[in-house]
Amino acid sequence: MALINVAAREIHCKIVYYGPGMGGKTSNLQYIHTQVSKEARGELLSIATETERTLFFDFLPLDLGKVRGFQTRFHLYTVPGQVLYERTRVAVLNGADGVVFVADSQKHKLEENIKSLRELAVNITKQNKKFQDFPIVLQYNKRDVPGALMVKDLDRFLNTLPPPGGPWQRFEAVATTGVGIFDTLKAISKLVISKL
Amino acid sequence: MYRRTTVLVCYNCGGNNVFESQEPSHNKVGLLMDPQLTSQIVPTEEVGLIEECLTRLIEDTGANHVLLLDKSGQVIASQGDGNRQDITALGALIAGTFASSREVAKLLREKDFRMLFQQGVHDNVFIALIEEQWILCIIFNKGTHIGLVKVLTKKATDDLAGVLERVRQQHKARDDVLGSSFRTSMEDTIDLLFRD
Repeated sequence: MALINVAAREIHCKIVYYGPGMGGKTSNLQYIHTQVSKEARGELLSIATETERTLFFDFLPLDLGKVRGFQTRFHLYTVPGQVLYERTRVAVLNGADGVVFVADSQKHKLEENIKSLRELAVNITKQNKKFQDFPIVLQYNKRDVPGALMVKDLDRFLNTLPPPGGPWQRFEAVATTGVGIFDTLKAISKLVISKL
Repeated sequence: MYRRTTVLVCYNCGGNNVFESQEPSHNKVGLLMDPQLTSQIVPTEEVGLIEECLTRLIEDTGANHVLLLDKSGQVIASQGDGNRQDITALGALIAGTFASSREVAKLLREKDFRMLFQQGVHDNVFIALIEEQWILCIIFNKGTHIGLVKVLTKKATDDLAGVLERVRQQHKARDDVLGSSFRTSMEDTIDLLFRD
């Protein structure tokens, strides 16, 4: 849930990157961390296993500076994507204002994408929030991988929410090189702010 | 002494369309009464009570630092050691710890764990839940006895639960706090800052 600090004139929003394991959620945050100016970014905090897989979450605070007198901060989180960390994802999702669903474009990952998206719907609903109204942006990552599914095929399976909540905005991305990363971040940021 | 106080407006995304509504303003207030659609603001006098409560807790226990967090990990108020530069990360991690313990509780068929204690060689952390919404965290060293912290934290959480309850009764539209042109300015800032 967003916090607006009236006394100190600050706004805080929480954005969670969700999706199947090895889909590129952490890479999104790592790229943003390398590109955003030092003044605007905090430390990238990662709780990962010895093999660099996310164990609990990655956390990146971004400070947008003053907007109309309000210091605005976005807190970006990732969830661990592996199936066994389902309960951990519930914990990280707690109080989120918006979600970027990072889908893996590879053909053999389609079923994992669908399962993860279904799980997200369940977890958001468990927080007493309406899934169809919740701010979500889709990112089709790994567009550079040979044999990646076509966007229209990914849409057919993942971007199926009917109006007025859907279809969601979706972006093609290559997280490791930065393609589509900021388009995604801009979209979810604006969506969250619009629903503040 | 380091002092930081946050006033919060929380929203549930299910209610965000209220702000898009063409309904007359008096109807908006009615809609906001729905628990799904609640906005909350801590008025200035309640901020004073939160500050007083945290200051008293530090003085009475001899603790080093006290944090009041929202369950999403945002820092609402912080009192104590002014040299701490890691408040934002602490907030994210402590809220994550608590959210994680809640999932453990569910697996054990407990409603939740309302208190957590982390013991270190030098510093200890005691964490207490306030009405499913806020988290009170006390950082103290071996000069302070855990029993004293437990007793006085109970008193503080009761006081803060009263503040939270009154805050929940407050309803105010976003535009009353931020101004109607905030969103446009915010979108300009996002475009300017979030780019490769």
